[in-house]
Amino acid sequence: MYQLAAMKNFSLLLLVLTTSVVLAVADIPRPRGVPLFKASLYAPRSDNSWVCLDGTKTIRYTQLNDDYCDCADGSDEPGTSACVNGQFNCENIGYRAEDLRSSLVNDGVCDCCDGSDEWADGAVHCENTCLELGRIEEEKKRSLADLHERGSAKRAEFIARGKQMRAERETRRKVLEQRRSEQEAVKAEKEELKRNAEAAEAEALELFREQQREKDAAAAEEARSQDDSQTTRYEAEAAFVKYDANKDGFVEITELMVDMTLDRDRNGIVTVEEAKYFLDERDRIDLDSFYVLSWPRIKPIKMLAEGIFKPPMQEGEEPEQNDRSNKEEVPDQETEEESEHEGAYGEEDLYEDEEGEGEADVGVGTVADETHTEPDYDPETKRLIDLANEARNAFSEAEQRVREIDHEIRDIDDHESKDYGPSEAFFALDGECFDYEDREYVYTLCPFERATQKSRHGGPETTLGRYEQWISDGDKKYEKQKYAQGAACWNGPQRSTITEFKCGLENRITSVTEPSRCEYNYIFETPAACDGAATHDTRQRDEL
Amino acid sequence: MRLAIFLLILCIFEYAVAVDQTNFKTCDQSSFCRRCRNVKPDNTKFALVPGTLNIYSDSITADLQHKDNKHLFSLKLEGIEKGDTFRLLIDEKTPLKPRYRVVDSLKEIPKPGSIKVQEGQGELTITSGSNKAVVVADPFRIDFYQNNVLTVSVNAKGLLTFEHLRPKPQELGTDSPDANEVKSSDEITDPGAWEENFKSHHDSKPYGPEAVALDFSFPEAEVLFGIPEHADSFVLKSTSGTDPYRLYNTDVFEYILDSKMALYGSVPVLYGHGPKRTAGVFWQNAAETWVDIYTAEKNVVSSIVNFVSGSSKTDPPAAHFMSESGIIDVFILLGPSPIDVFKQYTELTGSGPLPQMFALAYHQSRWNYNSEDDVEEVSAKFDEYDIPMDTMWLDIEYTDGKRYFTWDKFKFSNPLGMFRNLSKLGRHMVIIIDPHIKRDDQYFFHKDCTERGLYTKTREGKDYEGWCWPGAASYPDFFNPEVRAYYASQYLPSNFKTVTADVMIWNDMNEPSVFNGPEVTMPKDMIHYGNWEHRDVHNLYGHMHVMGTFDGLLGRDPNQRPYILTRSHFAGTQRYASIWTGDNTADWGHLQHSLKMCLSEAVAGFSFCGADVGGFFGNPDAELFARWYQTGAFLPFFRGHAHIDTKRREPWLFPEDTRLIVRDAIRKRYAFLPLWYTMFYEHEMTGEPVMRPLLAHYPQDKEGYNIDYEFLLQDRLLVRPVMDRGASKVNVYFPSTDDKKTGDVWYDINTLKKYTNAGYESLPVDSRTIPVFQRGGTIIPKKERIRRAATLMKNDPYTLVVCLDRAGKAQGTLYIDDEKSYAYRKGEFNYLLFEFENGQLNVNFKSKPNFKTTAWIERVVIAGLDRTPKSATLIVGGVSQDLEVLPHEEGVAIRKPGISVLELFTIRLNF
Repeated sequence: MYQLAAMKNFSLLLLVLTTSVVLAVADIPRPRGVPLFKASLYAPRSDNSWVCLDGTKTIRYTQLNDDYCDCADGSDEPGTSACVNGQFNCENIGYRAEDLRSSLVNDGVCDCCDGSDEWADGAVHCENTCLELGRIEEEKKRSLADLHERGSAKRAEFIARGKQMRAERETRRKVLEQRRSEQEAVKAEKEELKRNAEAAEAEALELFREQQREKDAAAAEEARSQDDSQTTRYEAEAAFVKYDANKDGFVEITELMVDMTLDRDRNGIVTVEEAKYFLDERDRIDLDSFYVLSWPRIKPIKMLAEGIFKPPMQEGEEPEQNDRSNKEEVPDQETEEESEHEGAYGEEDLYEDEEGEGEADVGVGTVADETHTEPDYDPETKRLIDLANEARNAFSEAEQRVREIDHEIRDIDDHESKDYGPSEAFFALDGECFDYEDREYVYTLCPFERATQKSRHGGPETTLGRYEQWISDGDKKYEKQKYAQGAACWNGPQRSTITEFKCGLENRITSVTEPSRCEYNYIFETPAACDGAATHDTRQRDEL
Repeated sequence: MRLAIFLLILCIFEYAVAVDQTNFKTCDQSSFCRRCRNVKPDNTKFALVPGTLNIYSDSITADLQHKDNKHLFSLKLEGIEKGDTFRLLIDEKTPLKPRYRVVDSLKEIPKPGSIKVQEGQGELTITSGSNKAVVVADPFRIDFYQNNVLTVSVNAKGLLTFEHLRPKPQELGTDSPDANEVKSSDEITDPGAWEENFKSHHDSKPYGPEAVALDFSFPEAEVLFGIPEHADSFVLKSTSGTDPYRLYNTDVFEYILDSKMALYGSVPVLYGHGPKRTAGVFWQNAAETWVDIYTAEKNVVSSIVNFVSGSSKTDPPAAHFMSESGIIDVFILLGPSPIDVFKQYTELTGSGPLPQMFALAYHQSRWNYNSEDDVEEVSAKFDEYDIPMDTMWLDIEYTDGKRYFTWDKFKFSNPLGMFRNLSKLGRHMVIIIDPHIKRDDQYFFHKDCTERGLYTKTREGKDYEGWCWPGAASYPDFFNPEVRAYYASQYLPSNFKTVTADVMIWNDMNEPSVFNGPEVTMPKDMIHYGNWEHRDVHNLYGHMHVMGTFDGLLGRDPNQRPYILTRSHFAGTQRYASIWTGDNTADWGHLQHSLKMCLSEAVAGFSFCGADVGGFFGNPDAELFARWYQTGAFLPFFRGHAHIDTKRREPWLFPEDTRLIVRDAIRKRYAFLPLWYTMFYEHEMTGEPVMRPLLAHYPQDKEGYNIDYEFLLQDRLLVRPVMDRGASKVNVYFPSTDDKKTGDVWYDINTLKKYTNAGYESLPVDSRTIPVFQRGGTIIPKKERIRRAATLMKNDPYTLVVCLDRAGKAQGTLYIDDEKSYAYRKGEFNYLLFEFENGQLNVNFKSKPNFKTTAWIERVVIAGLDRTPKSATLIVGGVSQDLEVLPHEEGVAIRKPGISVLELFTIRLNF
């Protein structure tokens, strides 16, 4: 045992401080505060000097633990508080050894369970609690290990279930893919049928409308002739003269084809067919016939072109969709229709179905038309319309089926993409929800989905966050989850939640706190977080 | 999140988002301010009445008359003990009812001085010591001479106003014709004279107009400063073209900077300073007060005027105090030095008492630490990250529904256990107790106040009811001694069983804050003890609250120094409590203003001042957070605090480099605690402020007058914190001791690098730099060991830092006691004076050492030596011992003298 020479000091105090700086512990003499395995580093050199452990300075051996910091690395004062960066080792026999910051040495607070850090002031009395602590820790470890072991049994069930579910999902996905391709074929077939039926329908409708138009024209003509047939006659004559370019007393097809207002389908040219329509399907027409047959058809178009006449919107006569897309208001219309349409498929579809847009549009107009008062169709037309409707319905059913399959596939993929921890242990929690009540709120956690809060006195549910991901903390990859993008706090951020998983025999929330405004902390106990193997390992390590 | 708070905050935000200035009156919206401000200068109506003079040994009295309305006033001019302070009192000779006189602001009745009176032609000369007052009879004015130099003139501008009490006009009988003339000259036609509306609030003003106002000129001054609390520069700005500075304690939500708006506290003391003389006036009036500032602004217009008039003489700086009611009661403080005048003020109102050591260390607060676990976790984290911390604070959420003296039993089920656990680590706790009392019949405090009639009353005699944190609330009438006694008794261990005698108190919201009241406070026509209107006493409400708290804490443990933090304050509150600058914001401007505001408070008696570190509202980024800690570490009161809506911001929640900067700053604070403690002892003894503007010690340095981004701690340290984003250098101003460019020698406290030139010095800074300099000629005691709390450093050894002046000399004091009790008042302390001269350090006791301690001297650092000593010799009682001298930064360190602070010794350097 070394005995450092006590410096001759003037105060009693320093005498106390500088004697007894070295203790004999565990047989190997070493300065106070030095752990056993570093004892050899603290031997004096032959000239009674000593080199700071960082090698930067040589000091007298008596300067070790003399309550004055000489080494930049604090290594000369392992037993006092002199060095800001020093370390004091408590041996803590019966518990575990511990390195304390030197700031805790002789500060009047017992930090080592063996009380060795408070050696200077006799007034500070520290009890040795190491054995007791050791016992408690052992007990804790044991019960924790026990918990983990028992929990692990349940966890194994979770894992089995998780694995089984994964396998089932995979099988199911294969089935679905198969069914999807079948269903695609059905859908294509129905589409073909629909196209044919619609063509027939369109033809019939065209005919019907033409007749309708003739009736309308006759009616209009009659109405007009009541009050201003004379005016119309003058207009017709003027138009006839204008159209009759070769002045032969007849208006011919070619003569009408120069008037672009007659391009009814707006394709840039007035076709023979279009022109013929105005000539009542004849090749040429004289003034009287023009006045009776052609002018009633041409005049509304002229007026329309001049912006005078605004006919009620006529279905079927609308320009084709391709042209519509050039107009500004069209995208809006489509979106409206689109969301109306999607609403029919329920909420889940709100976030999906982007690729289904084009197909879904077909026939929509007609379906929507049926809600209007239907014109009085002749039986044949009616039959064709009904057939077309049937074909349309059959098609959208087939389409719906494909969509349903897609939905289910996506659902599976969703699950596939979630990380359920090692061996799928956390899978069992997905789809379940758990409540926790405190004085004011009921907190809910649906793992892998969302966290919510609701006042116990009723009122709406507030989302505290939607599942985002695991937050890994070093090797602890599966202890914390982040739920973010919750309801926005008034004048603050969006709410968010951290859920911590702890080993427990049952799935339950054990506490919910709000450490920062709108940032929540859930503690969740579950067998999924138990790890029998790990604690077993620790125990073995500790016993070594 | 708690719905109740949410709604409450919602309702606050409803009336103010980032201070809605329209919620607070302008002078134009305040009838009396309008009236007083409209008084035309140089036409005073007042004159002394011949033949009414009475002369006493310490004072004179005379009648003063308004020449138009013939109303009579009695004037009294007193000489105060040492002859450097006069007191002027003016009241109505026969008022319709008594007018309010402030109570409990002065620490005691000032001791009378002795005067000599000389009557001259139309004037009186009253001599007191080396000073005199010359009272001119007509037009009335008083000139105060410090050593025969005119220093303060009263009513030189002729703005004296004294609205005598009068019957309400419609109550007058039919006018007699001869009364008409008098009446018209006496009429007050302002529409707000007899009742006043502001926003939706009505002030009934039953006593009508009763304002008082007076002007003070400072012929020797170049700048005026004082009258906190305002978020403005240290030097007062001219109010020409703006509103006057306002003194009216209010809870301003998200206050704005560079504003003359009123804030939480009012200290009506104002100083005029020039190179040769400093003087002050203390306007002792607790009613709403506005102060106009006239300074000789050197603007283009005045230059032209001077040029044209051929005069370079402008009017001296002046202040015009205007108060809504009460009397004129003003102390004239004649200096002549800045320190003299500060002491003359604290001589009247008292100085802050020496706090317990923990109160000078670092405080960790937040609205709110949510539970006992939360408190313990935060405390443990400070240890984990090795950051010293002494005190944890609990804001309003610890209570059961904002019922003070109760606990939320769910979150804080075992407060005594929590205190015990903190105490074990040497830590303390401060909890909030606000003055608003929840109107809940089940709540004992409310029941007692209701049954015993302890609440402030309405005009109809009902309990006044306002709205604050608890919802419907009433406000104890702390002006009533019985109410204070009742309130104080609630702190007795037999009543407040859930706290220990180590738990200290935070009094917030005591302006008082009333969410639905006019200007967020109590209506002026509420009635207090003695039948005084709230109008008369408003600025004293918080003061009375704090007095009650102080009594309560003393009653609980008569031998422990109480620690109180208050938001509202008035002249004299410093005797009981420390203050902070209220609900500031996490931005750089607010960081900068924390200095200016505390400097103004310090010269007005409140040395123990600080700001919420990090900023109360908003989230500071890492840089601002770090810089704020660096600044806060050198302000007297050092507390991190944050609003409930902000993100958590304990130091470890920031990146590591920020955390380490913050740790360094806090550790630096702890290292300097022996100095802080000594400074606060000396503050209690002398009344000299701890934190001082440059002009306090460099009165001739005009450049320094306007520098309020740096300050002095006593005359030992010069602090110039980095308070700008992204700063890579700062301009430090080293003040000069004369009007030339001679300055002191300064040493960087880290490197001991020496600065010898006065003037601006641009210094590079990095994120860790806190530019602080020790003045050559001083010795500073430090403790350089790290502990988790200041209370655990008690026996740690001292390091003395000796910085030499040009003559190779230095001196400094060290004060030591038990850091907690009042035993020091019975002489149980050690007060050491270290002196260094001729290469030798000597210690002397300023009084016989009478406090036992094991603390010793670990190290003596010396900077500024011409040569490096080879060794040193410690001589104690004739016995010598050699000591090693080691290089230490740009100085040397004497290794381990190892001598107890109870011993007399000498250390000689050997070259």
